[in-house]
Amino acid sequence: MGYEDRNFSVVGKGVHVKDASEKVTGALKYAVDLKVQNMAYGKILRCPHPHARITRIDTSKAEALAGVYGVLTHLDTPGLDWEAAWFNYRGKVLDGIGRFVGDDMAAVAAVSEEIAEQAVRLIEVEYEVLPHVFDMEEARKMDAPQIRDEGNERDPYIVEWGDVAEGEKDAEVTVDCDIFYESQQYAPLGRNAAIAEWMGDKVTLWTSSQTPSELRDGVHEALGIPLSKIRVMALPCGSSFGQWWSNNFMIITVLLAKKARRAVKIELTNEECMATVKRRHLERTRGRMGCTKDGQITLAQFDHLIDNGGYGFKDDVGFFCVDMWGRARHGHYAVHGINTNLLTAGCMRGVGDCTLGASVERVADQLAEKVGMDPVDFRIKNQIKPGEELRMQHSKHNMKGNIKEYIDGIREDLKEDWPELFHLSSGSTEDILTMGADAFGWKERWKGWGKPHTVDGPLRRAVGVGTGAHVCGVEFEGSTSAVVRINPDGSLKVHCSVGRQGQGSETTQSQVAAEAMGVSLDMVEIETGDTDSCPWSHGSLASNTMYRVGWATRAATMDARRQLLEIAARELFDGADPAELDITDGVVHPKGQPDSNRRFPITQVLHEIRSDTLGQTSSITGRPSVPMPPATTFARQFAAQFVEVEVDIETGQIKLLDFLAAQDSGTVVNPQVLKNQVIGGAICGAGFAIYEHLVFDEETGAIKNANLLDYKLLRAADFPHQAKVMFSESYDPVGPFGARGAGESPIAASIAAVAQAVYNATGVWVDLPMTPERVVRALGGV
Amino acid sequence: MTTLKVNGQTHTLDVAPNRTLADVLRNELGLIGVRVSCSEGECGSCTVLVDGEPVTSCMMLVDQGEQHELQTIEGLGTSDDLHPIQQAFVEQQGFQCAFCTPGFVMSAKAFLAENPNPTREETAFAMSGNICRCGAYPYIVDAVMNAAEKLRARDGADRRAAD
Repeated sequence: MGYEDRNFSVVGKGVHVKDASEKVTGALKYAVDLKVQNMAYGKILRCPHPHARITRIDTSKAEALAGVYGVLTHLDTPGLDWEAAWFNYRGKVLDGIGRFVGDDMAAVAAVSEEIAEQAVRLIEVEYEVLPHVFDMEEARKMDAPQIRDEGNERDPYIVEWGDVAEGEKDAEVTVDCDIFYESQQYAPLGRNAAIAEWMGDKVTLWTSSQTPSELRDGVHEALGIPLSKIRVMALPCGSSFGQWWSNNFMIITVLLAKKARRAVKIELTNEECMATVKRRHLERTRGRMGCTKDGQITLAQFDHLIDNGGYGFKDDVGFFCVDMWGRARHGHYAVHGINTNLLTAGCMRGVGDCTLGASVERVADQLAEKVGMDPVDFRIKNQIKPGEELRMQHSKHNMKGNIKEYIDGIREDLKEDWPELFHLSSGSTEDILTMGADAFGWKERWKGWGKPHTVDGPLRRAVGVGTGAHVCGVEFEGSTSAVVRINPDGSLKVHCSVGRQGQGSETTQSQVAAEAMGVSLDMVEIETGDTDSCPWSHGSLASNTMYRVGWATRAATMDARRQLLEIAARELFDGADPAELDITDGVVHPKGQPDSNRRFPITQVLHEIRSDTLGQTSSITGRPSVPMPPATTFARQFAAQFVEVEVDIETGQIKLLDFLAAQDSGTVVNPQVLKNQVIGGAICGAGFAIYEHLVFDEETGAIKNANLLDYKLLRAADFPHQAKVMFSESYDPVGPFGARGAGESPIAASIAAVAQAVYNATGVWVDLPMTPERVVRALGGV
Repeated sequence: MTTLKVNGQTHTLDVAPNRTLADVLRNELGLIGVRVSCSEGECGSCTVLVDGEPVTSCMMLVDQGEQHELQTIEGLGTSDDLHPIQQAFVEQQGFQCAFCTPGFVMSAKAFLAENPNPTREETAFAMSGNICRCGAYPYIVDAVMNAAEKLRARDGADRRAAD
């Protein structure tokens, strides 16, 4: 199955992204930039209470206001549940109950935003205020206020192997932890908007989304109308990181447009983006790890809580760190998803790995210190290697969609070329730790646990290392497909619905198609947002884009290429074996003889079928014809990062002085794109490590810093501008041209590296985010 | 009536005086490269040049734009003929989602006009009035350094041509 030839002509090249000139000229259109004819503007009425039920709602004054086209309340909405990908949202569009301050309660469409806002204020609502709960430990109690019909907590998601009692017995050294994580906000730059327009019983929805197919499914579930009557046109997103998948305000827009009998646009304010959509979960890890004196981990036992807020529904975050530290002899990991009356929590980049994973890294570091081992060596000793068993197979209940049923449902002969399931197919942290440590000068710069390399008055400088891992896509809730058309002029059109969240996937997918066909990149165009032309695909989530969508794009291109070569063999090469033909730079020729006299451009092959009056097609369409093996069962991405920090022990301020990121994502399809992904992740992780957190009001649970003034993000001068990125040369047997996923491991590694460096500088472990106040307090200051 | 001179063109507009300059540039003149994110002058996405000085246009009322030369990203290069700063951002890929990019390019233009031969540290500091949530900062610094080089070469060539 592997495409072993590494002699690529388009893959591996740092070509400029296809939309680069639109991006630098400001011409790129995000959803906020779009208008349609005769469009009305919508505004949403938001719940002022943490938990309340509407007992009376009177919209007559709002409806009577000049310029108002319609008011939508829960009395108008279907009683159907809809669910966003991976349980990032589960509930009804509007059901008359507010589950957090800022929850969607009703909406108005009017001739202008101002009038819509005015009308929202004219809606008279009476609420029955319900008891609320913000703390996830409180929410677990039997007598806690119940937020959802399903109860506040569901069965834990458990992965276990071996026998932790044995692990305990074999441990010569143990460490316990109890770590609480604040909530990071996606804090998108740019806002989002949704525009919906009905034509008869069909609706079109334009919005910025990473998940066009899944959004169409959400509209279908919420409204109960056929998929064929829903068209999603996903526009590019401003920075998203999981925020703009399928969101409730998008479906409200669809219903409001129907009520108002015209196109409606709802544009969220910056505050609405930060306080009413989603955030990273608040999380808490309690755990215990043990190892032998020579550093072999015998026990890894973690109990982890995640707070889903009002509508999140997750319970399975963060098992990729379990696999990474999979050499632990005995393990037990449990994750409990809990609802509270806070803003909905959902998957943000590196979900779980930035919290549970960071906890495991910290406890492992503390073990390494106890046995006197270097953190690089300790990781190499205990982290998974290619071919070794993945621990996720030992889950007590399977991942969503049931992986066993998925695998059992596939014909045996189609599995023949699959790699060994539940074993790591390729890559590891070993290479990147080794090459990274070498390039960073780790051996010279690391002075031992809790020891700065330089002390200068109150300033302490030290280095740290951290690792991160993640899946490369997830297979359930529908498989991933793509379609590739060869046009009569020999150009390719790729259709794959990954959306455009900015990382450059339209370019890397095009590189995969160009390489697979044997044409230059400028012959490939791509559509990633239109669900009417793109087959169902997971969007850009779970680091799925290169591995799984890229696999589908390559498979679809290979299918189109096969058809093309069959026609060429028959019509132009006297019935030669198509397997003996090849394509280079858009020209079909006998294999190994690109300069042969018998060479025909693709256009000529297309001409043959077009001039055949009995033929039924004038273009070629390719699609994947075999199922992709389930990536969760063998593919992982790895990051190892090295950082130097300076901590002022008087003010508690942390500065990042130097940074090196080593990444194992298999074949690098586009080094420019990948280094941006890696450093972008590292910066987002460093921000979470030292600044970023939402502040919830103690009385109401409302978010107090839902703006970019009070929610602090790193800026250019806050991160080393000389940061280096290195790539391993591993090659995956399944991924397109050996490539794997990339976007999520870097953020997890960064958090762990910064936390360890601060420990090495100061001798104390500080809870995240390591704000100046917390650093000073941890050091015993006031 | 409000008269604005934007990218060399004069526009006379009948707009309410409580509207921001960013809003009017985007919604009346269709200059969507003026991106609005935070609306409080923090993120720098809406940066435009007012007589060559970088200003967050979400913090200006429309009438404050009168009597000044305004420049937005649309007043720089076109996709067929990129300005050297835009070209440098393309080459160094100083962006991901690019919502912030027009603001960074405009800030860079003002900065390089003042300091045509900056150090990397000076550049990183100067680019810290803008936020890139995707975290392309090292490549933004690369882009501005590269742009400085391009502009020095261009201006040098201009001077030589003038001699």
